[in-house]
Amino acid sequence: MNTLNTSPPDAIHIAGLVKRFGTFTAVDHIDIAVPKGSFLVLVGPSGCGKSTLLRMLAGLDDPTEGEIAFLGHTVSNGVGGVLSDPRQRNAGLVFQSYALWPHMTVANNIAWPLKVAKWNKPMREARVAEVLSLLGIDALRNRYPAEISGGQQQRVAIARTIAPKPAILLFDEPLSNLDAKLRIEMRSELMRIHRATGATSVYVTHDQVEAMTMATHVAVLNNGRVEQFGAPIDLLREPQTTFVATFLGTPPANLLPVERRGDSLVFGDLPLASGALAPGLATAQLLYRAQDIGVGAVEGRPSIAATFSEAAPIAGQTMVTAMVGDLRLTGLVDGYFQAAPGDRIALSFLRDPDAVFTTAGEKVAR
Amino acid sequence: MTSTSLTLASGRRLFRSENVTPLLLILMVAVLVIAPLVKIVLVTLTPEGLAAWQSVLASPLSENLWWRPLLNTLLLGLGVAGGCLLLGGFLAWLVVLTDVPGARFLGVLSTLPFMIPSFAAALAWGTLFRNSRLGGSAGFFEVSGIAIPDWLAWGLLPTLIVLIAHYYSLAYTIIAAALSSVGADLIESAQMAGAKRPRIFFGIILPVVTPALIAAASLTFAGAVANFAAPALLGLPVRMQTLSTRLFGMIETGNSERGFVLALLLIAVAATFLFFSDRLVSGRKAFVTVTGKGGRTKRFPLGIWRWPLFAVAVLLGCMTTVVPVLVLAASSLAPQSGELFSNWTLHFWIGEGGGAIAQGTAGIFRNPVLIDALWNTIKLGVTVAVITMVIGLALAHTIVRRKGTLLANVLSQLAFMPLLIPSIAFAAAYIALFGAPIGPFPSLYGTFALLVIAAAAHNLPYAVQSGRSVLGQVSADIEESAKLTGAHPVHRMLVIVFPLAIRGLLAGAILVFVKMVRDLSLVVLLFSATSPVLSMVAYRYASEGFMQFANAITLLILVICLAASLIAQGLQARVQKWKQS
Repeated sequence: MNTLNTSPPDAIHIAGLVKRFGTFTAVDHIDIAVPKGSFLVLVGPSGCGKSTLLRMLAGLDDPTEGEIAFLGHTVSNGVGGVLSDPRQRNAGLVFQSYALWPHMTVANNIAWPLKVAKWNKPMREARVAEVLSLLGIDALRNRYPAEISGGQQQRVAIARTIAPKPAILLFDEPLSNLDAKLRIEMRSELMRIHRATGATSVYVTHDQVEAMTMATHVAVLNNGRVEQFGAPIDLLREPQTTFVATFLGTPPANLLPVERRGDSLVFGDLPLASGALAPGLATAQLLYRAQDIGVGAVEGRPSIAATFSEAAPIAGQTMVTAMVGDLRLTGLVDGYFQAAPGDRIALSFLRDPDAVFTTAGEKVAR
Repeated sequence: MTSTSLTLASGRRLFRSENVTPLLLILMVAVLVIAPLVKIVLVTLTPEGLAAWQSVLASPLSENLWWRPLLNTLLLGLGVAGGCLLLGGFLAWLVVLTDVPGARFLGVLSTLPFMIPSFAAALAWGTLFRNSRLGGSAGFFEVSGIAIPDWLAWGLLPTLIVLIAHYYSLAYTIIAAALSSVGADLIESAQMAGAKRPRIFFGIILPVVTPALIAAASLTFAGAVANFAAPALLGLPVRMQTLSTRLFGMIETGNSERGFVLALLLIAVAATFLFFSDRLVSGRKAFVTVTGKGGRTKRFPLGIWRWPLFAVAVLLGCMTTVVPVLVLAASSLAPQSGELFSNWTLHFWIGEGGGAIAQGTAGIFRNPVLIDALWNTIKLGVTVAVITMVIGLALAHTIVRRKGTLLANVLSQLAFMPLLIPSIAFAAAYIALFGAPIGPFPSLYGTFALLVIAAAAHNLPYAVQSGRSVLGQVSADIEESAKLTGAHPVHRMLVIVFPLAIRGLLAGAILVFVKMVRDLSLVVLLFSATSPVLSMVAYRYASEGFMQFANAITLLILVICLAASLIAQGLQARVQKWKQS
């Protein structure tokens, strides 16, 4: 099929992929395709099926239905299960637990997969030295995994995975066991390695910041389905569902349930926007970014009384969170802002809503 | 100058009031563990002792006294260690790492043989396989017309088989625990590297569990070397001696010094092996497993081998648990010990004396000696269990709360020493120390008290271990949070500590109780005619050829052990309601 097409085949092509465990559907008809050299991030809350999807990509689990193709070759499908084993599909996986072999030194951990792949000794040694220095861990080569820190173990795990030069690199929440500072450091390290190896990468995480900073492509997963797939910026700018809108972005965007009253969309008793934004709908949800909500009344803009709950300063601005009934709203003000929890403050909506969604969470076309 | 004042200061510090309890504990453990060992060494350094050393090691007698028993002992130890690694390792692999059907059932089945005392298995073997070469009644097979060659009826091979059948479940437990700690990630990362199953097994799994394999080998070796019952029942009739049977024979016949020398040599053999295996494992960082998430284990598909391998495992389990028990039961009902399944009678259990069966001996429940032995056994088990758990808890508390101090280290080292000493040699040391009056104290030899003290001392390592796990259940936080409510210490003890600790305490106590009830190698030297215990009476009957009585008593011992375990489980469920699901 691909031979008719002049453009190169997708590095990873996932079509109609389903994985069921008994009656539970972990992965539910997923379609994703990315070109060679991309950095695909699968992001979603725990239990959304992202790790199951990754394991099927690795060839550790077989799909129930659908197909996975690497560079035009089908590696797994619902009929034959795992068609090519992990090695044949030329993929490497970095485990969340690192999975370093405790009885081998750092150098042997890296060399063993090469030995299995029948590299000769001089080539093995050269490659081990090369990846050790790429990861900056030359000094650790003769240590055992138990003798090095978590961050160093992480580097060894990555070095071991990239040593056989896989065309596809898979990462299963690799940074989740590291502390915050190390996590940021390893994030840029991973991007550097991605550039250095040129391998197409698939990265599973529940951390939307990692998704936003590292990805060329993001797939937001929820309940085994792809909520939205695209470039990170597009997902941020044009969320197609309320799930995506509230899952991505810092601080998270606000969603206000509104109902049509006359020609207006009304939140409680407050008219927020023109009814024309939600044609034909009796109820809807309006998306406001934090930067579109200010503190204090503003002439000509709708505002609402709220109960202050907390303020978090970030980069010269302050993120103010207040409650309106049970609804938590987050706005942004310049400079520092101080109030006591329980104080009454006014929140005003500075601009029209960024997007309108149905009550079910689907975006309403403009 | 400075150094003396320093020592004085530290000396004073050592004797501060808070250190009194640990010092008393050290003193007590020293008396219980060190004193007998020192004494047995000293006894062998007297002129008679030195003569005994010479006759054992360098005289025309030494081939029979030392070299042959040593050779047999080592053959048994190595054979048992090897056999247990193979059987236990195979079962552990099957249960933990494959998709064999009924893995949970197989797991339980594989731990059961260790519950059956080795002399029960040895008696069952004799009941089936003994031949008429030595006179007396033949076993089931020979009576049924299947000739049993000597090598299968007596001596090294049957002893080896019986001991493997007893100890393989110990190896299974250790190896299975290690295998289930090999996370699926470790195996899957090898799969990702393209390694095939044999390569994963030999390259990853085997090296990772090496420490467990070594531990399993050394513990089963030590167990086999120290075992008395199996070689005594299956080897002695054809004069196959091991160090433990030799040592028993020497002390029985009044050659105590030679017996003590052999005891020291037996300790040396067992300790050497344990020491070197420990050396092999410890200090190697390579064996520390790095785990992140873990928990999940990888199960390899067996394909068409699922059911055949399941059948093999079930067969193994049945041959080593159900079959021996059934053989003992049938034998205790059969008037002709070779004809297991004909003319069953309850005579050996409740028959009156004076009849034609069993040379007029009454059934075990009409035999006053036996009723006496039954009560003695239960009394011994309960007393030792209670005493050891109290001492163990006190030791564990001191060791845990003073972790890292010199006192704690000394204490834990001392408390674990009995683990290195085969129980029959330990009993010999107790005879050396308490066999004669010490100052104003009379000789304790042959008294119930001596048996209790020796047993308590020998069970110390287990008691301290369960004491530690009990204390692990009651973290300092839990006790402190109760303290903050202002509750009285006694109240705290009753409401918080006791309910949390009871499970561990009971488990530890039951373990000690069961070990005592079925112990033979400790009581065989320390028991006396005035306070007989069941295992000893069974052994006597077996050596005199009354197999049915021996088998009936052994069954009784099994029933007591089983009842104890069931009672413990029932109590736990009653006390710890929150654990019910």
